[in-house]
Amino acid sequence: MATTDVQGRTVSGAGGGGQPFVWSMVLPMVRAGFFGFTGYFAAAWITAMLTHSVIVNPLPATMGYIFGLLGWVAGSGIWEGWIRRAFGGEEAPSLTGVERYFRFSSDPKATAVRYVIFNVLAFFFAGLAAMAIRIELLTPDSTGWWLSEVHYNMTFGIHGLMMLLAVAASVIVGGMGYYLLPLMLGARTVIYPRLLGLSWWLLPPAAVAVFLSPLIGGFQTGWWGYPPLAQNSGSGIVFYALGAATLLTSSLLGALNIMGTIIYMRAKGMSLGRVPMFVWGLFAASTILIVEAPATFTGTLMDLSDMILGSHFYTGPTGIPLAYDDQFWWLFHPEVYVFALPAFALWLEILPAAAQRPLFARNWAIAGLLGVSMVGAMLGVHHYFTAVSAVRMPIFMTITETVSIPTGFVFLAALGTLWGGRLKLSSPVLLSLMAMMNFLIGGLTGIFNADVPADFQLHNTYWVIAHFHYTILGAVIFSWLAGLYWWFPKVTGRLVNEFWAKFHAWWFFIFFNMTFFPMFILGIEGMNRRIAVYLPYLHPLNEFVSISAFFLGAGFLIPAANLFISWRSGKKAPQNPWGSKSLEWHSPSPTPYIVFPEGSEVTVVGPNDNYADGAPEPFVWAPTAAGK
Amino acid sequence: MAVENTASLMDPAPERAKRGAFFFPMLFMGIICAAFDLGRFLWGGSGVPKTVDFDTGATLTVIMLLSMGPMLGARGKLSRGQDAAALGNFMLLMVVGIIMIVGIISTWSAVPIGLGYGGIYDITSGWLALYFLAGTLGLLASVMKGKRVPARFSAERWVAHNVVSFWGFMVLVWTVFFIVFYLA
Ligand code: HEM
Ligand SMILES: [Cu+2]
Repeated sequence: MATTDVQGRTVSGAGGGGQPFVWSMVLPMVRAGFFGFTGYFAAAWITAMLTHSVIVNPLPATMGYIFGLLGWVAGSGIWEGWIRRAFGGEEAPSLTGVERYFRFSSDPKATAVRYVIFNVLAFFFAGLAAMAIRIELLTPDSTGWWLSEVHYNMTFGIHGLMMLLAVAASVIVGGMGYYLLPLMLGARTVIYPRLLGLSWWLLPPAAVAVFLSPLIGGFQTGWWGYPPLAQNSGSGIVFYALGAATLLTSSLLGALNIMGTIIYMRAKGMSLGRVPMFVWGLFAASTILIVEAPATFTGTLMDLSDMILGSHFYTGPTGIPLAYDDQFWWLFHPEVYVFALPAFALWLEILPAAAQRPLFARNWAIAGLLGVSMVGAMLGVHHYFTAVSAVRMPIFMTITETVSIPTGFVFLAALGTLWGGRLKLSSPVLLSLMAMMNFLIGGLTGIFNADVPADFQLHNTYWVIAHFHYTILGAVIFSWLAGLYWWFPKVTGRLVNEFWAKFHAWWFFIFFNMTFFPMFILGIEGMNRRIAVYLPYLHPLNEFVSISAFFLGAGFLIPAANLFISWRSGKKAPQNPWGSKSLEWHSPSPTPYIVFPEGSEVTVVGPNDNYADGAPEPFVWAPTAAGK
Repeated sequence: MAVENTASLMDPAPERAKRGAFFFPMLFMGIICAAFDLGRFLWGGSGVPKTVDFDTGATLTVIMLLSMGPMLGARGKLSRGQDAAALGNFMLLMVVGIIMIVGIISTWSAVPIGLGYGGIYDITSGWLALYFLAGTLGLLASVMKGKRVPARFSAERWVAHNVVSFWGFMVLVWTVFFIVFYLA
C-alpha cells in the first residue's frame, strides 16, 4: 500500500483536538500546585515542630520538598491515569483531546510538548539570572545598588544548575526526542508511556525549588555543590541537592524509555543500520545516563545526608571531599554529551534532507556518536586536575584528547553530506551550520582545558566559561532552535516565519560571539570565574561583554514571539515542507493522536535518505497481521 | 469508538518488550547499589565493627534466600497462566518485604551514622529499604489487581512478571550487600 493511501484514511475516530479548549481543563495543574504547596508546608511545619527548629532549616525543607513533590505528582491526574488502575481500580478513559496537555498523560506527544513549554520557561528565568550576573559585572567593584556578593553567588548557582539540568539536558532529548522517537521508529508510542509521562511532572517542582532556594538562604557553591562549602552556607543547598536528584531521575525515566523503545519497538525491516540518526543520538545519550548517573546520584544523596542526617562522608576529620568530586564528575562530564550528542544527531538528520543527498559515511557517523559516549564515559577527572595526584593527570589528559577522534567522524559526515550538494538554506539549516561553527571553537578550546599544564592556568577562569558556553549555548541551544523550526510544522501544522527566524539566527550568532569570545581573552588575562569583584584593568572588556549579553538576551524575544504568532496564525504547512524522506513526515501534520492508522503497519524497505531521482520509497504500508 | 480500543492501539508493546526493557531500570538501580557497596571500602575501611548486628543481618539474608522459593513458584505459575494461584506467593513475598524493611531499620541503632562504616552502612541499607518499599507496593498492586480484575491482570501479565523479576533483583542486591558489609 502506498503511503498516500494510508494517510488518506481517517485515524480510527480519535483524531484528537476535537474539543475546544476550556479553562476547566487546566484544573489538574491547579490541583497539583495546591497539593504540592500544601504538602510542602504541612511536612515542613510538622518536621520543624518535632525537631524544635524552623521551617527554613535543612531538615524541614527536605521533608517539605519530598512531600511537596509527592503532593504535586498526586494532584497531576496520576491517580486516575495510572495508580488507581494499577491497583485494580476503575480505568479512566484515554484522553485524546487538548485536555491531555494539562494533566498526567501517557501520550508521549503531549509530554514532549509540555517539555518544550517547561524548557522555554526555565530558559527564560535562568536567562534573567544571567542578565543579573552581567549587570553586576558591569563595574569592577561590588555595586551597592545591585546584588551583594552572597546574592551574586546564589544567582550564578541557580543560573548554572537550571541551564544545565532544566534546559540543556532536556531541550532536545525531551521536547523533540520524546515526540519523534516513536514516529521515527514506526511505533505508536514509547515502551513505558506512563513512566515517560511521569518524567515531566518531576521537572516543575525541582525547578521551582531551585529558583526559590534564596528564600531559605540560597546556596553558595555554584552548580557543583562541593562540600564542605555545601554544608557551611545557606540551607538552600538542600533544594539544590534534591532538585538535581529529581531532575536526574526524570532524565533517567526518559532514558530507559529510549533504550527499550529502540531495542524492542522498531518497525519491521528497520535494522540497526536504518535507525534514523537522531534516534542514534538519543540512544548514545541514554546509555550515558543509565550507566553513569548512579554514581552522581549517590554523591548527591550523600552530600545531602551530610547536611541533614549528620553523616560525615565529605566533612569533618574522617570526611573525604575528593570523593564527592569523583562522584559528581563521574556523570557530569559525560552529561555534556547527553546535551551534545542529540544536537550532533540533529544536524545529521536535517542536513541530508536539506541538501537532498544521502548522509555521508553513515556507519562512521553512528560509530562516532557511540564512540563519544563510550570514550567520554570515563574522563570526569579533567574537571579537577588541580585537586588530584599526579598519576591521574596524564591518564585523563590522554583519554580526554582522544574524544576528538569520534567527534571528528560526526563532523566529517556532516561536511561530506554538504560537499558539492545544493543546500537549501532554510532557518533550521542555517542554525545547524552556525551550531557547527560554534562547536568547533568550543571543542578546540576543550583541548586546551584538557592539557594539564594549560589547565593549571585556565582552570576557574573565564576561559572555561567561554569554552562551555560555546559548546552548550553555541551548539546545543542553536540546535534546539534549529529543531524547533524544523519540526514546528510537524507538531502544529504551521510554518514559522522564515524571515524572523533567519533574522534572529544572525542576531543570535553575532551577539553570542560578541558576548563569549571576549571571555576567552578575559580568562587568559586572569579573570576568575564566580567573583562579583574584579581588578579594574579588566573593566573595559567586561563592559563590552555585558552590553553584548543584554542584546543577546533581549534577542530571544524574537523567536518567542515568532513561535507563538506562527502557532496561532502562521502559514498552513504542507505535510512534508522540507521534502524529507524520514518516517516522521509520513504521517499527517499536525500529528494525529494515533500516529499510524488503525490496521496498518509500516515496513522499512530501504534507507530513508536516498534522495536520488526515482529512488524507491523507503517505507511501505501493509495491513496489520491478524490478532494485533 | 471504544476507549479500550484506543488504549490498546496506543500501547502496542508486546509482553516480551515490556519485560525485556525492565532490565534497564534494574541495571540503573543495581549500579546505584554497586556505587554504595564500593563506598563501603572507602568510608568503612577494612574489617567490620564489632558492634554490627550480625545476627539480624544473617537472618535477613537467609530469609531473602529462602524467598526465592515463592518467587520462582510465582514465576512458574504466571508462565503457566495460573494467575490466581500466583497471588498466594505474592502475598508471602509482601510479608517478607515488610520484614526486611523493619529488619533493616532495626540494625541502624548498632552502627550510628556519624562516622565511617556507620554512615555508609546506614545510607546503603536505607536505600535498599526504599527498594523493598517499592517492591512491596508493586506486590500489593498486583495482588489487588489480581483479586479485583483478574481479566486485566492476565491481559497485562507482564506487570506481575516484572514485579517478580524485581524481587529476584532484590535477592541479588541484598546478598551482595550482606557479603560486602558483613563479611568482607
Ligand atoms: C560536547 C561538548 C562539550 C560540552 C557541552 C562541554 C561542557 C563543559 C562544561 C559545562 C564545562 C565546565 C564545567 C564547570 O566547571 O562548571 C567544561 C569544562 C571542561 N571541558 Fe568541556 N565541553 C565539551 C567538550 C569538551 C571537549 C571536546 C573537551 C576536550 C577535548 C573538553 C574539555 C573540558 C575540560 C578539560 C574542562 C575543565 C576545565 C577546567 O575547569 O579547568 N570539553 N566543559
Ligand atoms: Cu568534561
